Amino acid sequence: VRAGGREGGRAVSLAAAAVLAALPPYRLSAQGFPSTPPKPTRLSPVRFPPFKEATLPNGLQLVVIEHHEQPVVSVTLSFRAGAICDPPGKEGLSSLVSELLSKGTDNRSAEQIASTIEGVGGTLAASSGADFLAISGDALSDQAGLVFDLLGDVTLHATFPETELELARTRALSGLALQLSQPGAVAQRFFGSEIYGRNPYGKSPTRESYRAITHDDVTQFARQRLRPAAALLVVAGDVTEAQVRELVDKAFPGWRGAPPAGPTLPAPPVRFAPDIVLVHRPGSAQANLVAGNTTTLPTDPVYYPGRVVTQVLGGGADSRLFRILREQKGWTYGAYASLHRYRGIGYWQATAEVRTEVADSALRELLHQVELIRTQTVADSELGAAKGFLVGSFPLTIETPSQIAGQVANVKLLGLGDDYLRLYRERLSAVTASQARAAAVRLYRPKALTIVVVGDGAKLADRLKTIAPIRLVDVDGKPLTPADLNPPTAPVAFDPAQFAPHTDSSRVMIQGNPAGFTVSEIRRPSPDSLLYLERSNLGNGAFQQQTTVVLDAATGSVRQVDQVTVQQGQKVETHLTYGGGRVKGTSAAPQADGTVKRLDIDTALPARTVDENAVPLLVPALPLAPGSTFALTSFTPSENVVKVLTFKVGSPESVVVPAGTFQAYRIDVTGSRVPFTMYVSTETPRRILKTEFVGQPFVVELVK
Amino acid sequence: MRVPSLVAGVLLLGASLTSPLSGQSGRIAYEAFTLPNGLRVLYSEDHSTPIVSVDVWYNTGSRNERPGRSGFAHLFEHMMFEGSAHVKKGEHFQLISRAGGSENGSTAEDRTNYYETVPSNRLNLALWLEADRMRSLAITEENFHNQRETVKEERRLRIDNQPYSPAFIDGMTWPFDSSACFAYAHTVIGSMQDLDAAQLSDVKAFFDTYYAPNNATLVVVGDVRPLELRRFVNQYFSDIPRHPDPPAVSCTSSLSPGIQRREVTDVHANLPAVLRIYRVPSHADPDTPPIELLNIILGQGESSRLNVAVVRREQAALGTQVAMNPFDSRRGPGVLLALAIANQGVDALRLDTLLAAQLDTVRATGVTAEELTKAKNTFRAGFIHNRETTLGKSEELHHYDTFHPSVSEMNTDLERYLAVTADDIRRVAVKYLDPANAVVVIVKPAAGGAAQ
Repeated sequence: VRAGGREGGRAVSLAAAAVLAALPPYRLSAQGFPSTPPKPTRLSPVRFPPFKEATLPNGLQLVVIEHHEQPVVSVTLSFRAGAICDPPGKEGLSSLVSELLSKGTDNRSAEQIASTIEGVGGTLAASSGADFLAISGDALSDQAGLVFDLLGDVTLHATFPETELELARTRALSGLALQLSQPGAVAQRFFGSEIYGRNPYGKSPTRESYRAITHDDVTQFARQRLRPAAALLVVAGDVTEAQVRELVDKAFPGWRGAPPAGPTLPAPPVRFAPDIVLVHRPGSAQANLVAGNTTTLPTDPVYYPGRVVTQVLGGGADSRLFRILREQKGWTYGAYASLHRYRGIGYWQATAEVRTEVADSALRELLHQVELIRTQTVADSELGAAKGFLVGSFPLTIETPSQIAGQVANVKLLGLGDDYLRLYRERLSAVTASQARAAAVRLYRPKALTIVVVGDGAKLADRLKTIAPIRLVDVDGKPLTPADLNPPTAPVAFDPAQFAPHTDSSRVMIQGNPAGFTVSEIRRPSPDSLLYLERSNLGNGAFQQQTTVVLDAATGSVRQVDQVTVQQGQKVETHLTYGGGRVKGTSAAPQADGTVKRLDIDTALPARTVDENAVPLLVPALPLAPGSTFALTSFTPSENVVKVLTFKVGSPESVVVPAGTFQAYRIDVTGSRVPFTMYVSTETPRRILKTEFVGQPFVVELVK
Repeated sequence: MRVPSLVAGVLLLGASLTSPLSGQSGRIAYEAFTLPNGLRVLYSEDHSTPIVSVDVWYNTGSRNERPGRSGFAHLFEHMMFEGSAHVKKGEHFQLISRAGGSENGSTAEDRTNYYETVPSNRLNLALWLEADRMRSLAITEENFHNQRETVKEERRLRIDNQPYSPAFIDGMTWPFDSSACFAYAHTVIGSMQDLDAAQLSDVKAFFDTYYAPNNATLVVVGDVRPLELRRFVNQYFSDIPRHPDPPAVSCTSSLSPGIQRREVTDVHANLPAVLRIYRVPSHADPDTPPIELLNIILGQGESSRLNVAVVRREQAALGTQVAMNPFDSRRGPGVLLALAIANQGVDALRLDTLLAAQLDTVRATGVTAEELTKAKNTFRAGFIHNRETTLGKSEELHHYDTFHPSVSEMNTDLERYLAVTADDIRRVAVKYLDPANAVVVIVKPAAGGAAQ
């Protein structure tokens, strides 16, 4: 461990202190406190630590960056094995491989790997991006041997245990479910596939692709692609090149071979006029906008003026889109623009998350700002602010060996050239206003823009179609027609056979453990009325609720709702009467913070609105058929709002619950606060077998 | 296949256990001076990257608050971003951002910090901004109301609305008696009632008492030239008037007054949890190094005692967490906390028994040589990683200046940790993990939150 450098530094500063001590101690400067911010002083040069490069006989490219300030070492091994290498239909494979590398080798179990690296206070992790799969580790430099040993072990001897694969798959699937419930992530998936078409940069994993990945796929991907030729090993920190070479020889004995060629990268589709992909997400409270197009290869010098002009347009809270869309107009929570590089063709995008009612105004303004920056030269003060941020923040990103290693790896992997880091600040500083405008003209192509909007199509379609032609799809990408946006909420004829009196008991499971129960019952107190009763009990009585809904037996329309809730011993009641196009009464709902939200209700309702509490009774009575979609207008008493719930029916599948094994329709429900999935048995009377809530750890299952 | 690799594993483990641990790592050279108005300045030159961190610690935090006015230090931290005589509201952020820098602030029990990391040619800007708010903070009715609402929202969002958070935050204060040690018997975030009761005059009084140059320390680390630094510091800070010294804070607290048990209900929790909180001494106490290593052995990482025994072997908990003074070190007595969240179907009392059994085992039989080495390795890695950045070094300088008898200990402290023996660990476990020194909190979920 070296401390010499610091000792030298101390000697110098002691000498400086001696000089200072001789000066009069506190000379107040002639000028007082300045009333405006002081001007920058002279810019110090970035002394990027020199790095040594070599290509080893097996083709591995080695970069060593000696950085002796602290006794630490950071190692990153990158392979051209990112998501673009996933075979068609197996999207997500590279990501699963990276996650499984540290989950067991011929020499160590997953636990041993974790405890070995932990025992020296280090880290070991792998991740997969679009182009590359990278394994990285760091530790104190006297533990460099151990880091290399583990790195070699997971690269050469990973065993990918079946049980770990299943765990990783389950985590990936729940991560995907969560992602699909977030409109921003949905927008990015559509945007990528729109701008790249068949080019693999545009692909994203799906439920089906995760499920299709086999153990063989994983082992074969690792065996074929984690090869030394064309791989890059960057080592930064308190080590020498000789030391690193010795460690590499020891950790990777006899390692050789080249990966198969990467995937072909077809040219992204050419677009001649902008259009809008409107992704219908019923009930969405806001609209997520993404607009952009593919750009250039990473080495194109347009990057520098492009980076500056994109910063002016939307680089942060100090940029045009944020200032105008958020601060001036108040339309959005945030609005940004960014430029993205891959090894292949990159892209730029502008994004905004806006209130539904102003989605069209916000999109128009966003497009207007893109047009402005292409046609009008940016003022010097604005250009200066953007360059100030970019030039100034760069040295903050190369402080530690692991940050330096990351920057160097990026340069090497994208082929940006050896002087890239050294000249980065100068090249940005040199960008002129006219170069910035020329870059905007080249990069932002209004006629070729892809625009994706995720939100409630019923509210957005008319607003947006005046801006550009609309293609309407659902969240899974299936084309929709305008008629699908307002599925008939009336002429749904409920099937009276499904209202036959019966009782269902279900249990509530949290993370696989029982947490309570719910019992529902259908009664026919008189020929023309229908009674739906539901009793729930969670956490041994901590939460109890009894709901009674009275309906018209012929039409399924709700007449009255009474509900009693006891939470933590606190009892609250809701009583509502439906009729004459209104709902009247009082509602009370315990809130998460222990308070009770009470509402006096007298609200006009659209025709055929049902009470939210009747949904479990009514859904099985819909004319369910594979591929059909229904919408119900529903009133939520606890919020005093009307929502449109959409029910998408899938093909019958086999479902196992404690009550037995059944053929059931999978019904995806959106428009509620949390999207959920119901499984309804196909035989009459249909019963709700299982209910899952997106991104929530609990599930309700039929017991008897 | 298995046998040779196991042998290799054991050999490797042996190698890492015997590798020499140096106490000389991570040394930082520094200089200090003080202005006539009492502002203390520490700086350290590091010209490897052309950036500099400016880090001001005010010697105040929630420990300086008085009953009925909790949450003030933190409310104040928010006020410090609302503008001053020459800096408009929002301009601080904008100026730093246009310089390419980053900035923030935070409040703990014993200190409040404000920092910027900027390219070294903008050192003057960062110092000027800090000086302007130290000399002329805009304490207006509008800023005050606005920030009080922001802080209340922060409390709702980050504490009241998070599972286990209220128990954890409030639990930290329960080992201390409000009349004998109000300093640590109330939370940093403060109570809603106290925040509502705050008056503008209270805010002004707090500023006058605690935001004075004689109650602050300025640390500058990075690509800085001493002469230039002195020139800027003199120009910007030296005519800020000294204020009377703040009143002293008193805290009396005794170890092991008897076990205290509490049960709380958490509306956001789906699962029960157990929180055990133990009193530990002031950071400057010689027992601190063995307690910190004990904290690592008990709770840090997959292979820690509690994770191995309670999570993996007994499968009684979803996870465990052990922490010592989670906000920052303290001049007064502190806390060591162990939290375990029960698996579904596991009774909270059974979980507490398992947790207590693990702590008692350490008291009875101590820790192994391997555990001790791993804890020292972990500590040493953290100690050095803290010193990799200019901001990290700045915080280290402040830490030693504030919580140690001398800032010079920053270059010798690691040796104290590496010298800790297994006997030391057992001794502090016996002393501080005494059941009579514990506050045991059982967190019960208020189910129903889960059902929607």
